[in-house]
Amino acid sequence: MNWKNVLYLVRVDRKSGRLLRGQKLTRYNPSRSRLTTFAFYFIAIAVGLGVGFLAQFIYSAAVSAEPNLQALFLGGYYSFLFSLPTISLLVSLIFTMLQQIQRSGVRATYQVPYWLPVTWEEHTVASVLAEVLGFPLISVAFISSLILVFSAFVGGFLSAIAAVLLMVAAAFMASALTEVFRILQVRFTGAVYKSTGRAAVWVRFVSSLVFFAVFYFIYFYIVSGAGPLVFVQTVASVQSAAWFVPFVWLGLTLFSLATGLLLQGTLFLALSLLFIAGLIYLGTLLNKRFGLYEPPAITVSRGTYTPKTGVLGRIGFSSAEAALVRKDLKAFTRRRELMATFILPIVFLILPIMTSLNTSPSTSAGDPFGQATFFLVFTTLLPVSMMAVSLGSFIIGEEGQGVWRIYASPISARNLVKSKYAFLLFFSLIVLPITGTAGFLIYQPSLRAMTALVLESIFLVFALGALSLANGIKGADFTEIPRPRMIRVEWSLINFIACAAVALAILAPLLAYELPVALFGTAPLIELYQALIISGVVAAVLGFAFYRLALENAEELIAKAET
Amino acid sequence: MTNNYPFAVELKNVAKRYNEIVAVDNVDLAIQPGEIFGLLGPNGSGKSTILKMLLGLVQADFGAVRVLGLDVKLDSVAVKRLVGYTPESPRLYEFLTGVEFLDFIGDIYGMPAEEKRSRITEYLRALQLEGREGDMISSYSEGMKQKIALISAFLHKPKLLILDEPLNGLDPRSARIVKDFLHQLKLQGVTTIMSTHILEIAQAVCDRIGIMYQGRLLALGNMEELRQMAMLPGSGLEDIFLKLTGTGDVRAVVEELSK
Repeated sequence: MNWKNVLYLVRVDRKSGRLLRGQKLTRYNPSRSRLTTFAFYFIAIAVGLGVGFLAQFIYSAAVSAEPNLQALFLGGYYSFLFSLPTISLLVSLIFTMLQQIQRSGVRATYQVPYWLPVTWEEHTVASVLAEVLGFPLISVAFISSLILVFSAFVGGFLSAIAAVLLMVAAAFMASALTEVFRILQVRFTGAVYKSTGRAAVWVRFVSSLVFFAVFYFIYFYIVSGAGPLVFVQTVASVQSAAWFVPFVWLGLTLFSLATGLLLQGTLFLALSLLFIAGLIYLGTLLNKRFGLYEPPAITVSRGTYTPKTGVLGRIGFSSAEAALVRKDLKAFTRRRELMATFILPIVFLILPIMTSLNTSPSTSAGDPFGQATFFLVFTTLLPVSMMAVSLGSFIIGEEGQGVWRIYASPISARNLVKSKYAFLLFFSLIVLPITGTAGFLIYQPSLRAMTALVLESIFLVFALGALSLANGIKGADFTEIPRPRMIRVEWSLINFIACAAVALAILAPLLAYELPVALFGTAPLIELYQALIISGVVAAVLGFAFYRLALENAEELIAKAET
Repeated sequence: MTNNYPFAVELKNVAKRYNEIVAVDNVDLAIQPGEIFGLLGPNGSGKSTILKMLLGLVQADFGAVRVLGLDVKLDSVAVKRLVGYTPESPRLYEFLTGVEFLDFIGDIYGMPAEEKRSRITEYLRALQLEGREGDMISSYSEGMKQKIALISAFLHKPKLLILDEPLNGLDPRSARIVKDFLHQLKLQGVTTIMSTHILEIAQAVCDRIGIMYQGRLLALGNMEELRQMAMLPGSGLEDIFLKLTGTGDVRAVVEELSK
């Protein structure tokens, strides 16, 4: 293996982020400062050191106040330490896999040009290394600095050093596994598409949603609510029992070494390293076999082409507007990077359900919305609002470089805004019956509360959709390399803040009704029907104003096609 | 065909700058209805910018641009309705199939369903895309994508065709069909403006040729007029082009490279 080739390939992969960051390099400069290359690692270490010192300070303060807590704290800390390699492996795996899915929308190729004198071994090792150098190593840098500082004061410094080394190995294991998954995924999905023909579009859509749902579920399980503690305890207790699973061998290595079982520790370490080497070897074999595999064409239709008239024309859409809506429908169900938008409602259903698993639904006489209000808001207001905000902000930028077709066609600003707004309204509102029914069944609110939340959801969709569309047009980013950006970061932020403010304005009357009851047990400031009417009027006025703004922005967008 | 405008395309003293770079420098140009006009020039000479100006995709800093009697600045949507356009590297919606893309284009131009169906079917057959029209465009070769882009320009029977490197990636049969088809359209009064680097095509297809260099229209005329301007009687377009643009001294470059 030529390690120089590996190094060059890793460099190319890491440099692919330049375009994403909008970095402009106009001159060849091999002696460019490397400081920025390592900025993320430095930041992770600095934050880790800060958190480590803070944790140590809190620990010292707590123990000096209550000495009995020391044993409890240290027990928890060692459980955490022993499970770190396994947790690091899982988290790295989730992030590298999600990154792979994001890259499915990437137009720039990360594959080595096959005509270059590079072997598949070099390519596979470079790919694994490049994955490791991303999120996995940054997270390892953060946790390592944290535990090293903490253990320097609290004890167990040698165990912490061992944990750091094993976490690095875990990052390698995760990246090698991702490389194997990636190749298999390309091969498997290609075979499925080939065999399913038209259904391939839906197979791809559903499988992508399931993939996102599973990984987001695991992700939120780890990072939200009571998840982390339960997760650490589970990993710490389960990994001994699951000794035959290679993914816990690194954790068992640490446990064995820290408890004096040197032979066992050495054995698990050797097995872990062999497993990593085996994964890289498997990745190489798969790359040799399928590396140049081109996914077969998806044949969506065969037979005679018959133009469809459709219902859109009958409900007041012009031919061009209806065509744009149909085109967007196909874009959002066929482009992987856009499919992720549809996962939002699922995420917002999963989150509260997981958090409220131990909370029994109940209502009190004084509070018509009941204790489950918070979770119900999650399942009714938030999914539809987030759909409207996401679709509104992405729906212009998703045109990508194909936007020339819009510019070059006789499409007016009115056509464009009407079709895009109709699309986002339709898809946001279609979510409401699904998430609303789920919320109703899980939390069993009063019919009155449910009706109020459904109406507020509709108000929010109309206003936030129009606002996000206006901002999505203004901040549209048609960059597609290395991945579609759709909206500029600053406009995404502006939109988020503006939407939060507008949502608050629309919901204010409802809050005036609900908060006195929920917080103080006093009578509401206004009646519910009054609150809903005022909310509706506010949403209508704001929605109309934002729609006009979207039209103005679209006029500007079309007139300034060259920029 | 009767037209109530003297020129299909008219540029008067048009200029365009991008910061320090002069993309188009005081260009005057008038193209007759039914003419096939070739726009030639080295890379970065301003050809594509002029073509985009005709559609209102690029706004001129100075001067006036009229297309089919309409002021592009005042009503670019009306101009676009009458024009068929393919850019140099057309990016199509790759998540659509070929036929879905053409159906989309037909709807955008408001074509009646039956006319749309028959024309799409004819074009697909003529350019040998039958059998692949139901595949997603993402799986098409560059040549097939170019064919789809060209069909999308022809589909709504435009009065003016603006084609930027139209024969890029086409197989010889398809290229021949497109060339002959442009001649047929000429007889129907359709004006074509095309830019190309393939000088043989320009020589064979175009009635008149404009040669651009550093944003200026260096020479304009039919082949005979260009030969006279270059003082190269009996020469081909390549020699004329290289002499007029001052880029003909390639021997020294080749010698340097071969060291």
